[in-house]
Amino acid sequence: MAVAQSSSPLPSAKLIDAQTLMSIRSLELRARAVVEGFWSGMHRSPYHGFSVEFTEYRQYTPGDDPRYLDWRVVARSDRYFIKKYEDETNLRCHLLVDQSRSMDYGSRGHTKAAYAATLAATLAYFLHLQGDATGLLTFDDQVRDYLPARHRAGHLRQLMHALERPAAGRTTDLAAPLERISALIRRRALVALVSDFLAPIDQLERKLLALGACGHEVSVFQVLDPAELNLGLDQPAMFEDLESARTLYLDPATARAPYVKKLEEHCSALRAMCRKLGINYQLLATDQPLEVALFGFLQDRMKRGRQFRPAFRGANPGGAS
Amino acid sequence: MNFLTPLFLLGGLAIAGPIVFHLIRRTTRERRVFSSLMFLLPTPPRLAKRSRLEHWLLLLLRCLALGLLALGFSRPFFKQTPLDDPTAAQPKRIVVLVDVSASMRRAGLWAAARERVEATLGKVSAVDQVALYTFDRAATPLLPFEEWNRTAPTDRVALAKSRLAAASPGWAGTQLGTALIAAAEALAENDGKQFPGPREVVLVSDLQAGSRLDALQAYEWPKGVALVVEPVKARGTTNAGLQLVADSADASRASETVVRVRVTNSADAQREQFKVGWARAEAPGEFAGATIDVYIPPGQSRVVAVPVAKTAPGLDRIVLKGDDEDFDNTVYVIPPAQQRLNVLWLGDDAPDDVRQPLFFLRRALSDTPRLAVSVVARTSSAQLTPDDVRTAQVVFVTAALPPAQTAELRAQVQGGKTLVFVPKTAAAAATLGVLVGREGVTLTEATPTSYAMLAEIDFKHPLFAPFADPRFSDFTKIHIWKYRKFDAATIPEGRVLARFDSGDPAVVEAPLGQGRLVVWATGWQPEDSQLSVSSKFVPLLWSLLELGGGVAAAPSQWLVGDTAALPVGAADQEVRFTEPGIRTVAVGERTLRFAVNLEPNESRTAPLAPDELERLGVPVAQTEPKSEPSGDNKIVVQGVEAESRQKLWRWFIAATLAVLLVESALAGWTARKTNQKQAEAAT
Repeated sequence: MAVAQSSSPLPSAKLIDAQTLMSIRSLELRARAVVEGFWSGMHRSPYHGFSVEFTEYRQYTPGDDPRYLDWRVVARSDRYFIKKYEDETNLRCHLLVDQSRSMDYGSRGHTKAAYAATLAATLAYFLHLQGDATGLLTFDDQVRDYLPARHRAGHLRQLMHALERPAAGRTTDLAAPLERISALIRRRALVALVSDFLAPIDQLERKLLALGACGHEVSVFQVLDPAELNLGLDQPAMFEDLESARTLYLDPATARAPYVKKLEEHCSALRAMCRKLGINYQLLATDQPLEVALFGFLQDRMKRGRQFRPAFRGANPGGAS
Repeated sequence: MNFLTPLFLLGGLAIAGPIVFHLIRRTTRERRVFSSLMFLLPTPPRLAKRSRLEHWLLLLLRCLALGLLALGFSRPFFKQTPLDDPTAAQPKRIVVLVDVSASMRRAGLWAAARERVEATLGKVSAVDQVALYTFDRAATPLLPFEEWNRTAPTDRVALAKSRLAAASPGWAGTQLGTALIAAAEALAENDGKQFPGPREVVLVSDLQAGSRLDALQAYEWPKGVALVVEPVKARGTTNAGLQLVADSADASRASETVVRVRVTNSADAQREQFKVGWARAEAPGEFAGATIDVYIPPGQSRVVAVPVAKTAPGLDRIVLKGDDEDFDNTVYVIPPAQQRLNVLWLGDDAPDDVRQPLFFLRRALSDTPRLAVSVVARTSSAQLTPDDVRTAQVVFVTAALPPAQTAELRAQVQGGKTLVFVPKTAAAAATLGVLVGREGVTLTEATPTSYAMLAEIDFKHPLFAPFADPRFSDFTKIHIWKYRKFDAATIPEGRVLARFDSGDPAVVEAPLGQGRLVVWATGWQPEDSQLSVSSKFVPLLWSLLELGGGVAAAPSQWLVGDTAALPVGAADQEVRFTEPGIRTVAVGERTLRFAVNLEPNESRTAPLAPDELERLGVPVAQTEPKSEPSGDNKIVVQGVEAESRQKLWRWFIAATLAVLLVESALAGWTARKTNQKQAEAAT
């Protein structure tokens, strides 16, 4: 299974072990630990200056709109710099987090739901630090909580609180939240979908395509437990489906090969669909450090920034698209 | 070892079950949750490796239990040769009881009964003892055990068959209870030694509902005697019966013009319309004269009054037509007629003197519809005509008679008459002496201080037999003021029938040639005693007349098998009726006619209730008619018999239960041990 490995440019020694991270009780602290660790690792990174939207400071030249002057720099250094595109790249990110019952599974001391919540909190915290507006939509077989994308004091805490709410749903419906979010958000935004995608993905492509057509960027995080990836169970037992409560006698030794094959086909189909739609797709095992996810996310953002910046810049330099 | 139902051995294949279950890894009861089963397929439990077979002792016990169960269900038995058969080795003692009652005259029954008996005889081995009895009202040995044992073994069955061939159904009723008791007692008799082998009564009968079983109620059936019933079945059980309803002797004279018969229809009858009418002996199957149509629903009975046609003589039977069986459709009737009886009175009584015994005698012997008594009174001094004594059946003598006349009278009485000597005074002693043929007979006038009573009465004698019932046996209310005392020993062969409370003889009876002399020590006139005003006086006089043969006893009807006592003067003392009809017996100059009929119960041809014999304590092993098995069937039958005798399956079931108990204990112990280990491992 092609899982994002720690062969990333991030030094693995500095990454926080997922299990250790999850032992931190507060979701906000977890997110902060990841982001701050990530920042500290950034100094050693060969990549510089990238963010959600690449920002650029340029020396003020007469004729520039003084509104774009970065007054904090002026105040600090008495030099005039224009923070270009800051306003137009004020990113709105909507985090779509799956809280269905299947996310309650975890073989490593923490559940996929906890991992997904931490991931969402990390992204939210990171974006908040950048001044971007973040919103949240939790769902299972229907949309549960929705927080509009904002960047104001207390919003992050509200968002964390919503993420910490225990999952109450049962099955997973991937199409419903995408439908809902495309109806709710008017302005161009980044949509990060965090789920285990253990549900049929037939309708998913149309919904993602619709989102893309509306100009939204979509990032997909598939969170799976290591035991799910390779059916890492030893003893035969009666297995109960968390969502449907269906039971099945299973000997993992016998069932492993066909299971892995089917799961791989499923993930491959999802990955292929994302590639086709130009969507960032990351498969995350819950024992992976969250920095990896964050790094992958930002890397993708950077690539997209390079790819799409000329278009955005030329299209509407002064406002949001 | 052989098996009666070997297919059940296939159940032994179930042993594979525990083996497979032991090979299968123990399926965990653990339930584990998993995020989604959408990519999972159910997997069958895996077989463990042979080397990992656990709890082999439990496995062994479970396999053993299943194997024993399969063996038990397959009904195993050890094949035995006849010599091994413990019951075959022992000689049997069998009484074959064959019903020869009237109901066996129905079509086909006797032939079927003979077949059954011959089949039973065919199964008899050389060591068995067999007795052949027929029964109707009583059991009659055709071939007793002693004769069977005396006969050579090769000739025994042939002898029994020949005896049976000579027998045929009679006309009598069925006293099944008496016959069974006789058979059981015949089985018990064995020269004082207990017979070692099994004993059984084989009953070949139509088992009709009219069979009388009441004798069995007071009989304890001997242990070890089995009753094997071989029923013979008639084509039909529906029947209507005819029974004479006799009028009582004191019925009104109007009843003499009709004869009443009861027609009974069986409960399962199909027919309801019958005809009843008179018939003649010359044409017994045809009605002579008018018939009466009778409608009788099934299970009911009607009494039909058949008018006596006095203008058409020779009608002696009433015939029923319209039912299924003919053997019981005739009742024989002697049309009622008044009998005349002469009584000679020799005494000096004035006929109308209310203080004399003759006055009471005349009134006691009033005419009845059946009997007209003519009392001829002669004084002691009058000369008797020959007809006076010849026509009289009973002679009363109360006074002293001239010796010559007494001697003549004695001679007449010796010819078969009854003389009742009731002396009014002790002066008649000489007459008594002449009558008994002895001299020196004395009579002494005895006058008790208050009164005397009758005591020590012989109620077994026909004279007093009607008073034998305790309700009527109290004679103490009859006070006797005086009597004539005499010595009973002076009367040859005298039998004292009653004594006074003083011990003196009161009534003595003595034979006198073919006749009879009865001496009464006291009279019934008020001067002597209170007898004439007692309720016992008239019955006593009628008993005297019956004793003298003057009154023919008129029972309701005579049945086949009954025995009637004949009066003095007949060639035999009694006559036994063996078939229905009008039986004529000559008694001296007279002719007695008896109408003999079938036992009415014989008409009840419906089968006896199956549990009736069991209810009376007779263990019945009923056998339905079946063909003798041959070839393979015989082997199967032998197997069934051997298996039912040995009953090995019970041991296998018991062993299975024992093994299962051990298995349960062992499994419990193992489970506890495993739990302990797990608990220790957890801590």
